[in-house]
Amino acid sequence: MNWTHSRKLVTGLFVATAISTAAFALPVEAATLRMAWAQDATGLDPHKQTAFSSLRLLELIYEPLVRLDTQLNVVPAIAASWEFAPDAKTLTFKLDPKAKFSNGAQVTPADVKASFERLLDEATAAAARSNFLSIESIDTPDAETVVFHLSTADVPILASMATINAAVLPASEITADTIATKAVGSGPFKLDSWEPNAKEVLSANADWAGGKLAIDGIEVTVLPDETAILASLRAGQTDFALINDPLVATLVPNEPNLQLNRISGLAYNVLQLNPSRTPMDNLKVRQAMSCAIDRQEIVDSALAGEGKVTGPLTAPAFAEDPDTLFCYKQDVAKAKQLMEEAGMSGGFTAKVIAANGEPPVAASEAQVLQAQLAEIGVKLDIQMMELSVYVDTWLKGDFDMAVAQNGGRPDPYPMYNRYFTKDGNLLQVSNFVDDTLDSLMRQGQAETDPAKRVEIFHQFEQHLTEQSPWLWLSTSYTYTAQLKTVTGFEPSPTGTLFGLTKVSIQ
Amino acid sequence: MRILSALFRHPSGRIGVIIIGLYLLAALLAALGLTPHNALKMFAIDRMKPPSSTYWMGTDLLGRDTFSRLMLGIGQSLNIAFAAVACAALAGTTIGLLSAWWGAPWDGLMMRIMDVLLAFPAILLALLIIAIVGPGTFTSVTAIAIVYTPIFARVVRGPALSLKQRDFVDAARTFGSSQRYVLTRHLLLNLVAPLAVQVTLALAWALLTEAGLSFLGLGTQPPTPSLGLMLAESKNLMQQAPWLMLFPALTIMLGILGFNLTGDALRDILDPRTQGRTA
Amino acid sequence: MTYLAKRLLTFPLILLGVSVLVFLSIRLIPGDAITAMLGTEAGMLTPDQRASLAAYFGIDKPIWSQYLSWLGGLFQGDLGISKIYAKPVMTVILERFPLTLELALLSMVIALTIGVPLGVLAATRNGRPSDLGVRLLAMIGQSTPSFVLGVLIIFVLSVYFGFVPAMGTFTPLFQDPLANLGQLIFPAITLGFAFAASVTRISRSAMLDVLSEDYVRTARAKGVSTMSVVWHHALPNALIPVVTLSGVEFGYLLGGAVIVEQIFALPGLGRLVLDAIGQRDYALVQGTVLFIAFNFLVVNLLVDLAYAVLDPRIRLGGR
Repeated sequence: MNWTHSRKLVTGLFVATAISTAAFALPVEAATLRMAWAQDATGLDPHKQTAFSSLRLLELIYEPLVRLDTQLNVVPAIAASWEFAPDAKTLTFKLDPKAKFSNGAQVTPADVKASFERLLDEATAAAARSNFLSIESIDTPDAETVVFHLSTADVPILASMATINAAVLPASEITADTIATKAVGSGPFKLDSWEPNAKEVLSANADWAGGKLAIDGIEVTVLPDETAILASLRAGQTDFALINDPLVATLVPNEPNLQLNRISGLAYNVLQLNPSRTPMDNLKVRQAMSCAIDRQEIVDSALAGEGKVTGPLTAPAFAEDPDTLFCYKQDVAKAKQLMEEAGMSGGFTAKVIAANGEPPVAASEAQVLQAQLAEIGVKLDIQMMELSVYVDTWLKGDFDMAVAQNGGRPDPYPMYNRYFTKDGNLLQVSNFVDDTLDSLMRQGQAETDPAKRVEIFHQFEQHLTEQSPWLWLSTSYTYTAQLKTVTGFEPSPTGTLFGLTKVSIQ
Repeated sequence: MRILSALFRHPSGRIGVIIIGLYLLAALLAALGLTPHNALKMFAIDRMKPPSSTYWMGTDLLGRDTFSRLMLGIGQSLNIAFAAVACAALAGTTIGLLSAWWGAPWDGLMMRIMDVLLAFPAILLALLIIAIVGPGTFTSVTAIAIVYTPIFARVVRGPALSLKQRDFVDAARTFGSSQRYVLTRHLLLNLVAPLAVQVTLALAWALLTEAGLSFLGLGTQPPTPSLGLMLAESKNLMQQAPWLMLFPALTIMLGILGFNLTGDALRDILDPRTQGRTA
Repeated sequence: MTYLAKRLLTFPLILLGVSVLVFLSIRLIPGDAITAMLGTEAGMLTPDQRASLAAYFGIDKPIWSQYLSWLGGLFQGDLGISKIYAKPVMTVILERFPLTLELALLSMVIALTIGVPLGVLAATRNGRPSDLGVRLLAMIGQSTPSFVLGVLIIFVLSVYFGFVPAMGTFTPLFQDPLANLGQLIFPAITLGFAFAASVTRISRSAMLDVLSEDYVRTARAKGVSTMSVVWHHALPNALIPVVTLSGVEFGYLLGGAVIVEQIFALPGLGRLVLDAIGQRDYALVQGTVLFIAFNFLVVNLLVDLAYAVLDPRIRLGGR
């Protein structure tokens, strides 16, 4: 602790040192992890929550049937094993007999059935419902088996189940309608208290099937300003923190007592064009814009180098070398020629919307795009919006262009079916219907051979970037920072904090 | 002109006027495009460079010249402050005058409405307005103007009420001067002194509020630079690039200081009773 | 006391005005509680789901009927239920209020203990270098935005002292006075700095006014020591404008310091309103803003009364 130094250095700042002494004199429970993040969870219903923080919190409390490991492989969670029938129309799970809810009750096939029926019920308004529409019926032949009967061959449904949005809830709580207010899960931690926008207190679940934890609990504090989070880490008052802003993240390695965990995420930064409006309805205009931008330059300046240029597919198993994609090398001459062929050599003006602080680099990204597109006469009018207003506008598709950061999934099908299939439920956002994309999506859904699926989605990606309804820019990193006294955390590309189950504090 | 020379003789007034003069000059030059660099141009190889002979106040994350952006930012902030205070002064004066002139029941009604607005902490009222209309230059002007209108209304109504009772207005009325003539000629002229002081102080406050709103990301929209926005953008870069924070912060403080000093000097000059009484 | 009667009568009227204004304005904000909760996934809702959620949030009825039912509850002391906190709005507000109250009090204490002596000092040394120094300091204080000072304080503390005030949650005074003080002292300094500057300026000019009055001159002529004149005779009268200014400023601080609470991550009323607006928690925004306005009006009423008590020369009826 360097308060002794400061006292020697500056006697005048008596107050500061006196208080820091007091602060350090407070008993700190050695095995409770003090964690901080800038955005608090927005609710407790795992089926409905989509906010990043809510998912991160609920992943510690609830469990899905299967989860993804740090390499994005599907691994057991509540289900100990599973098997697809050869036609990919039946999926059978064997549950882990040790799995228990925090109220002491065993996790049974009936709970799984009730959970998925709740997910599929329209009245629930479940976030991931559209990924499970192929479920026709669910059988529970014995005390540890669950059988899903599917209407079509649906391979990606397994990966889709590996999200907390498909968590298994106790049937009793579903009946009692207390999911939104009480968190009873089978996960590694129990939620002791939650004070929205201020803090959460979690304690280790002694009955967790995954084993015993090295920490007694987690205290999550909401610090809305990320510089304050860094200050708190630096002062040793926080053990572990989520960092969103790459600029703050780059400061962490300078601190001798801190460690930065950085992992390439699945979410992608994108400039969404609205092909239902002129002149973005013109393929050549869209292609010209794609050729005019320098994606690496955007990463270097707006993201301070903290990101990687990407195509539409962000999961390592599917991603291609970006250089093989249409016009991923800036080519202003070609862009100008395309504009001329489109009869738009005079350029045009368009409104681009972006959310304030979501992602933190949105404003910088928009400004660099603005500068680059000005080269071919495309004048961008930036409108920064508060997040909920932005979301509202985005959902209505009420924009010429939008700077967005959209969530990624390990499998391309659940990631893009909502935007680029003919019955996708976010068509009003993408405004783009294309036969080739639609048919490639359907092939990818039904194909069981992994190698063939990769091939199908590569075709999908090539075609998508050539059509350029959106201009994919980069993936950013997901960051966590921790004191060096904290060990054992494994970050995951999905952003999950499940790695905290392996953490210990010295 | 007489006021200006009086201001110049007043010690703090002189400093204030010089600061405001420099700011106006900077804004004017920026408006004419006479900045050392193009304020919006990104010099890709010169990102986050410390102050040098090329970039007098360094460059920002995207490689833009801080000094040029500050000049443009001063213009933007002054524009908003002037427009907002002009609207507030106009609306407030009108309401205050009419209230005083018409008397009950209009007076009571309008003043209660002003009380309602005053019962909101200023920044909360501004936040609500911005949440409704969405952030932007125009919204900032509106929000600041609405917040400040009741203050002008009050400042004007008090003296207007007492002036109304005084003989010369009565005299003018009995001589059959039109209502409008009396209002503008006599009342307004006697209100110039308190108004001038209030306007200057309001400008200081408007600069501060604009910076605060932009700091919360709710004011001026990029790429237009504004002082508060530059400060907010630099907050996370404080350690790598302290100049990005230092210069906008100083510019905001100096600007507010300029208007505060001038306002105080004006009060001293126009209100002989308080001669030399204010700092 | 017709003035008092009049003030008390208009009081509920102004509150009613505030309630109408808040109620209408928050409903004019684009986006509703549903999109605020579900984010982009709200696009997946069917019209039926949307309708049932609207009913859940109570936003399915016309605005005037929503207002009347809210007003009806208000008279029974019921401000409604906060959607974010799933608790009565009044409970949430009362949880946040102690922090805001303490922060406001602490800032005022800082402002007065620094501002009054400095102001008096400057007045007694009118025109001398120490006077000029104090005036300059006060001017700088008044021109420093709290967000600049707050960000700087955190930066300096964390980088050079390896220490930051406890953030995020609030330790109540009676639970641990030392920790409580450690948490609030720096935000209080941030707020108190500009406040102290105003107090300095106003006490200086009030003191100068009083010192030039007859009775003080008489006392001086009678040979009473300067110190005694200043502290015993002049100060009590000079304090009247200081009380007014501090009262009004205190009233504003009770509304929560949005920016400072944001920077220091303090769960006070200011951040509560900011969060409630952001998440479209209508009941909470209405309740909190009404509460803030109510406090502000009460404090102002008290200041006016104090003014009348302290200075019998003022006839409030004439204002």
